[in-house]
Amino acid sequence: MTTRTPRRLDLSALFTWLTGAALALDLLLIVGLLVLVAVRGAGALWPHPVWSLGLADGTRVLGEIHSREPIPDAETGRLGDAGRIRVRIGNRDVSGLDFRWIDETQVTSRETPRDAVLVERLEWGPFFGFPAEIRTRAGVVASGPDSVWTAFGPLHDAKVALRERLRDVERGAIGDVNHEIERVRLAERRLEREAPPEPARSERAAALAARRAELEARYETHLAELRALREELADGELVLTTADGAQHAIPLGQIVRASQPNALGLGGKLSLYADRIAEFVGGQPREANTEGGIFPALFGTVMMVFLMSLFVVPFGVVAAIYLREYAREGFVTRAIRIAVNNLAGVPSIVFGVFGLGFFVYGVGGSIDRLFFADALPTPTFGTGGILWASLTLSLLTVPVVIVATEEGLAAVPQAVRQGSRALGATHFETLRRVVIPAAAPGMLTGLILAMARAAGEVAPLMIVGMVKLAPTLPIDHHPPFVHLERKFMHLGFHIYDVGFQSPNVEAAAPLVFATTALLIAIVVSLNLTAIVLRNRLRRQLAGRGV
Amino acid sequence: MAAGTAPRRADASGAARLPDTARRRIATERLASVAIRAGGLAVILAITGIFAFLVVEILPVLLPARVALAHDAALAGVVPRALLLDEYRTHDAALGRDGVVRVVRLEDGAVRAEQALADDFVAVAGDAEHSVLAGVARDGRIAAAPVAFTASFEEQRRVVTPSIGAPIELALFDDAAAAPAVAGPLAVRAGGDAQAGAAALAGGGVALVQRRSERNAFTGETTESLERRVLATPAPVTALALDPKQEQLYAGTADGRLLRFDLRAGVAEPESVDAGGAAISALSLLIGGRTLVVGQADGALSSWFTVPQENGPARLTRTRDYPSYPGAVRAIAPSQRDRAFLVAADDGTLGFQYSTSGRTLWRGDSPLGPATALALAPKGDGGAIAAEGRLASLDVRASHPELSLGSLFGKVWYEGAPRPEYVWQSSSGDDAFEPKLSLVPLVVGTLKGTFYALLLAVPLGVLGAMYTSQFMHARLQRWVKPGVEIMAALPSVVLGFLAALWLAPRVERLFSAFLAMGVAIPVAAIAGGWLWSRLPKRWVARVPDGTEVLWIGVAIAAAMALCVSLSAPLERALFGGSFPAWLETSTGLPFDQRNAVVVGIAMGFAVIPIIFAISEDAFSNVPADLSAGSLALGANRWQTVVRVVLPTASPGIFSAIMVGFGRAVGETMIVLMATGNTPILDWSPFNGFRTLSANIAVEIPEAPHGGTLYRTLFLAALLLFAMTFAVNTAAELVRHRLRRRYGRL
Repeated sequence: MTTRTPRRLDLSALFTWLTGAALALDLLLIVGLLVLVAVRGAGALWPHPVWSLGLADGTRVLGEIHSREPIPDAETGRLGDAGRIRVRIGNRDVSGLDFRWIDETQVTSRETPRDAVLVERLEWGPFFGFPAEIRTRAGVVASGPDSVWTAFGPLHDAKVALRERLRDVERGAIGDVNHEIERVRLAERRLEREAPPEPARSERAAALAARRAELEARYETHLAELRALREELADGELVLTTADGAQHAIPLGQIVRASQPNALGLGGKLSLYADRIAEFVGGQPREANTEGGIFPALFGTVMMVFLMSLFVVPFGVVAAIYLREYAREGFVTRAIRIAVNNLAGVPSIVFGVFGLGFFVYGVGGSIDRLFFADALPTPTFGTGGILWASLTLSLLTVPVVIVATEEGLAAVPQAVRQGSRALGATHFETLRRVVIPAAAPGMLTGLILAMARAAGEVAPLMIVGMVKLAPTLPIDHHPPFVHLERKFMHLGFHIYDVGFQSPNVEAAAPLVFATTALLIAIVVSLNLTAIVLRNRLRRQLAGRGV
Repeated sequence: MAAGTAPRRADASGAARLPDTARRRIATERLASVAIRAGGLAVILAITGIFAFLVVEILPVLLPARVALAHDAALAGVVPRALLLDEYRTHDAALGRDGVVRVVRLEDGAVRAEQALADDFVAVAGDAEHSVLAGVARDGRIAAAPVAFTASFEEQRRVVTPSIGAPIELALFDDAAAAPAVAGPLAVRAGGDAQAGAAALAGGGVALVQRRSERNAFTGETTESLERRVLATPAPVTALALDPKQEQLYAGTADGRLLRFDLRAGVAEPESVDAGGAAISALSLLIGGRTLVVGQADGALSSWFTVPQENGPARLTRTRDYPSYPGAVRAIAPSQRDRAFLVAADDGTLGFQYSTSGRTLWRGDSPLGPATALALAPKGDGGAIAAEGRLASLDVRASHPELSLGSLFGKVWYEGAPRPEYVWQSSSGDDAFEPKLSLVPLVVGTLKGTFYALLLAVPLGVLGAMYTSQFMHARLQRWVKPGVEIMAALPSVVLGFLAALWLAPRVERLFSAFLAMGVAIPVAAIAGGWLWSRLPKRWVARVPDGTEVLWIGVAIAAAMALCVSLSAPLERALFGGSFPAWLETSTGLPFDQRNAVVVGIAMGFAVIPIIFAISEDAFSNVPADLSAGSLALGANRWQTVVRVVLPTASPGIFSAIMVGFGRAVGETMIVLMATGNTPILDWSPFNGFRTLSANIAVEIPEAPHGGTLYRTLFLAALLLFAMTFAVNTAAELVRHRLRRRYGRL
């Protein structure tokens, strides 16, 4: 007996450690994932040094070193010191590729030249080179690295301002005219369809024709203005010398940002980083979403989640109040509660299918036939849109709100209710003045969890209104200002789309990591808020001693 | 304000009436009660409505097919033996042996166009594809009349005007006077630049004529070639069919044999197959010209097509049998849209069949008795039938005939396939494509992904929960549980993205490292634990229970790093340098970068927190009295956990696994991104698959609203819904029972 006890103890300790290992692995996985995304996401926009590499064959390569991987020894298979590096060489319009693998044994020299310039462009991705000169129609403005760099700043600022004006005209004035012309077109179709008796018909037709002519004239003036602006924007180019000595001219109007990363101190890097983050969060996407900002996706996500909250809170709360405060406890209530609980486990894609069939084709199709017959066969509501997406998601998340609200309601002690009733308050008054305020944290928890779920959900939205690139936001200055029928962009779909469907996945990967980090930050902070709230609620529940 | 007005009112109308405030309060109370009840019930109804809606969208699949008489017209003294129907089902064109083509308006029986092709035909035939009716005379001259139906609009009404074009003449023999007697049957294809006719001869054999005109794209010249052949047959021919490309001639004989002549190969021996027993009485090729429908004199009906053989040329094979007809099969009319066809038997039975699903869509009595000719309208929504002296049009409706339990869940022998199989291939660029809608590869893919996910998630989730609830200090628990909850909240699109772009290349490159981790992690955990237990008790006593998990975590991380750094030598020692290459050469299995192992890890990651949370709940709900009793009786912590806590919590753990299963079954984004989405049927962990959910996401944006694919995808969604709902309900019931049983202790 005494001899066996230690052995059995050992064995049991061993199994305990194994269960501990399972937990440790769980935690390792989650921490590893968060760290991976945070590092890759935050690092995506950080300025990297620009290396100039001399190769054994006499050529030079200029670019950012992105990663290194060891090459296994051909004989032993052991990983030695030999490795290859992945260099982002940019200059896609010249070299045809963004990245290049270089065997380290081929590299004869490495340096980080101070005047190496990284130019981020509207098209064709980044460009690496050395400043040579700046030319305008008037002639060469500056030449030589230093004077070019000092001259570049103000010239570029002017171009940026010009681009903004151009955008204002395009999006603002011309967009307005187009919007009006579309309205005239619809009015014409309505006239055709209604076919009123003669004098009225020709009067209306004449009015519409006059309106159209006026709009088209306005369009022409804006177009002329646009042409002039474009002309001005096209003037001037920055000439860079590439690593192999060739000269390449980049129109100043095409430059988003130019920097000399090697010359930057920490402050300079930080300000460049901040500038890039600002563009990333607040800017428009470029190059099939693989560059630029994600503002429309962020906006779409936030608006969709907000709309969903508008639907899900009243419905979820009413259902929970009904279940907890009005329905008689019994088999039916229990069955309903189980059904509601399980609905949370139904795959989200099923909700997507339902949303497509019911909201988009069913309800949307009917709305189109009744109210937007003039626009048919182009569907207005009969196609995926932000309204249908948020309705679908509110169905998906309503169980979350119901469960959390019920928990909140259950935390309110019966004694409080009885006290209120004893003082003469009706059932509803008790509910409104006593129970609901006390249960508010529970409802808020439910709402926040629902928002977190909705912000990360992609599969159902892919079929009810999410798109790769939405030309317009769902909110703008055209009445009725909020356009619920419009398609929208979404952070999650952005990740899927750019990471998997874009032509240049490799070059886009850093941006996707940044988007991922942003999405995770949103979802995790929402969840943490919910957890804190819920803990407070539970403490309250324990404190009241129900 | 309310308080001010109430007493005045009370004075005016007497004390019997309630004060205004009270009335308002009562009204509000009632209103609120009704509104909340209605609202609550509405939300709950809406939730159940989802299920109902999915069912409603699928219901049209179950609608029975219908074949009904639409119009009926007399055509005195004529026996139509070939029929055509226009797109709008307003006119029938009929040809009998009297050699006159008549176009009859079905509304009133008026003959709208008429043209005599010959004095007398021995056999007639129709070519619905080119809207041609043709007949052959005894001397071998074939005359084919193209019938055109033009639709125009007069005062918002559609008017169809039929016209008969100039006949196309083809002669089976050079010299009509010296020709052997032609007996029929006849088969004709009369396209614009290639025409062919074949007819059986009275003395045996088949005479064939083919005319092709080819236009040279550069010179604009047309060259015409005419070829005549007489093909010998072992027995008298009773039915003939020509394929749309005019490359194959099928003949059925009086002794029940099928002959296939390959016309491209010159005059060669036909392939001869015994169809068993009775004479072949009708032959017809379905859309695409690959499936041959064979009707026999004893009422047997079957589908045949050429099946590739492992060695040797493809063979004409009987691939599907339909229920027999009571009388000899007289006529078969194929659809030009899909693989449906109408069948008429001698005893007056009419049938509507579908080839892919093998379904008998409808069977009943012909409105005109035994039919002499049959046709299906170009859109497949109507038919025409003729009997002696009468013509009729039919309304034909079949919703989604290609779907049946057999075609969705069983093996189907598709055209050109070597054997019956499970295939999902919903669309192709070709009109004559046979949709393959077997859900089996998708269900298997779903279960495969789920299996690999649970393989990882169950041990990690359950054991992690066991440790957290049984061995860990409550203060640490407060940190671990929300951490795992955060894990549950991570969007699956993020997991999918990381799995596909970060994990998948690493699994491929470092496979042996991942393999080694399976051994190294437990070893490291035990070694770490042992080292911990060797530490002086004074140190260990200072930190709360469960801190050793952090220490073990460090050990595991070190072991993982070691595995990764040793991966190249390991890979060399185990797999000769590259695992994918080794797998390919030694087992023949392909290695996809995005495979089930990657999905298993990513989806396991998504499922772990669910299993963890519910198992943790189950462990925590085990009454403390039970474990306290066990400990008091001398059992140690581990014995208590294994012998007392685990059995008590096991229903809860079971329910945790069920819920995890439900989550993995429905997961969409991870599988969409981290597998190749190829719907193959294979359990190998090293290739991709397609799940029901990913399939919906991929295909539903392209599926036309209300079409067969759309409904099939709804069925897939319903299947997912039912699967997860059932599993979750079972889990929930188990948990409820568990809670009730131990709640009392």
